[in-house]
Amino acid sequence: MKERAGLERRFSFRLNGQQVSVSAPPAHTLLEVLREKLHVTGPKEDCGKGECGACTVLMNGKPVLSCLVLISQADEAEIVTSEGFMRDSLPDRVQKAFVENGAVQCGHCTPGLIVSTEALLSRNPNPSVEEIKTALAGNLCRCTGYASIIRAVQQVAHND
Amino acid sequence: MRLSEIEVVSSNSLAGALNVLHDRPGRIKPIAGSTDAIIQLKDGSLQTNELLDISNLRELRYIRRDGSVVRVGALSTYSDIIDSPVLKSSCGMLVDACKTIGSLQIQNRATIGGNLGNASPAGDSIPPLYALDANVKIQSHEHVRLVPIEKFFLGYRKIDLRSDELITEISFEAVEKPRDGTFLKLGLREGHFIALVSLAISAGWAPEGDRFSDVSVALGAVAPIVFRARKCEEYLRNRTLTDEIIWNAGKIASAESTPISDLRASAEYRRTVTPSLLYKAVHKLIDSRRRWEKS
Repeated sequence: MKERAGLERRFSFRLNGQQVSVSAPPAHTLLEVLREKLHVTGPKEDCGKGECGACTVLMNGKPVLSCLVLISQADEAEIVTSEGFMRDSLPDRVQKAFVENGAVQCGHCTPGLIVSTEALLSRNPNPSVEEIKTALAGNLCRCTGYASIIRAVQQVAHND
Repeated sequence: MRLSEIEVVSSNSLAGALNVLHDRPGRIKPIAGSTDAIIQLKDGSLQTNELLDISNLRELRYIRRDGSVVRVGALSTYSDIIDSPVLKSSCGMLVDACKTIGSLQIQNRATIGGNLGNASPAGDSIPPLYALDANVKIQSHEHVRLVPIEKFFLGYRKIDLRSDELITEISFEAVEKPRDGTFLKLGLREGHFIALVSLAISAGWAPEGDRFSDVSVALGAVAPIVFRARKCEEYLRNRTLTDEIIWNAGKIASAESTPISDLRASAEYRRTVTPSLLYKAVHKLIDSRRRWEKS
């Protein structure tokens, strides 16, 4: 369907370390703009109502749900998606630990879990199992049963 | 209304935001952390052509103490509240309540003013504010008023807030020994759940014996709005807190509630577990008092 061009506005923010500028309706969600306009497809839309965590990104350093942030609210913000943690286009230590521990099955929840894990480890490099569970409680996984995810997080913490 | 057709006005100052509301009363709806509002826009329960985004309004994001009064700016997020040293020492039950709200991702965006404005009967920051007799500060472009929390909620999802007004601050007296308080919430899983029943209790200990000289009990999710169980409070006041007395008080509180059955629990279940919640809460306060007396 054609959109009313008059309502599009220009928004600028930092995305994975790069300054970006994008034109979008101001009440579109950050998730829609990331995926549809900027083709950054790490964050996923699973529930679209703040329950599953698949769209988790960092906004100004904190994990938030990009399906519940309007693009106009992200203007001038610093946004990091799971892609932003890669080093020279290769997986970083958290991403590698997820693969090595079988913490990825269908993969839909993985980008959100990576973002939540990176945020946890940056504020608490050696979390307890309880702290890991609390930090990841907002990211649902229907495949792995979480045991392998928790092992992956612990592996990164213990190797630091 | 499709999201792509909604205009968003962003304001970075309180005066600016209040002017916008004054100029377009009723037409423009304020949003803060928007963790409820975006869902309501998507499902059609919130309909508007224009949104006023105040999420970046730094003026209303503070937590401070003025003498014995604690002031929480309406745009303080749950994470701000959970991490606040001021609240940890002056109102642990509000911190405990906010820890149970949503996931970390929600806590990083959702605001206490938004929880009041959304006016869900299961809003978890609300029972502690009832137990503390908190005041809600409301501002429009021409006036400021202070409304006791119990007067602010008028009925199911109905609040005393005009379309040109914003909730700007929540304030209450700090809870200090020999006063104490606690918050408990019952749900179906640990972490990130909506309350079946929630309870906040604030009490002052009598100088002698296991007795409250005064006590406030607020219940959530068991009536159209959060409410104070005044008959239960009256019964508990100045009575020695034996198990029998506490159970009786719990039954009185349960009789004061008017729960409904919904997808989370039946009304009967909610009535049955309410006394247990009060029992646990009073025992938490008794244990906490034993600990201070030893230290």
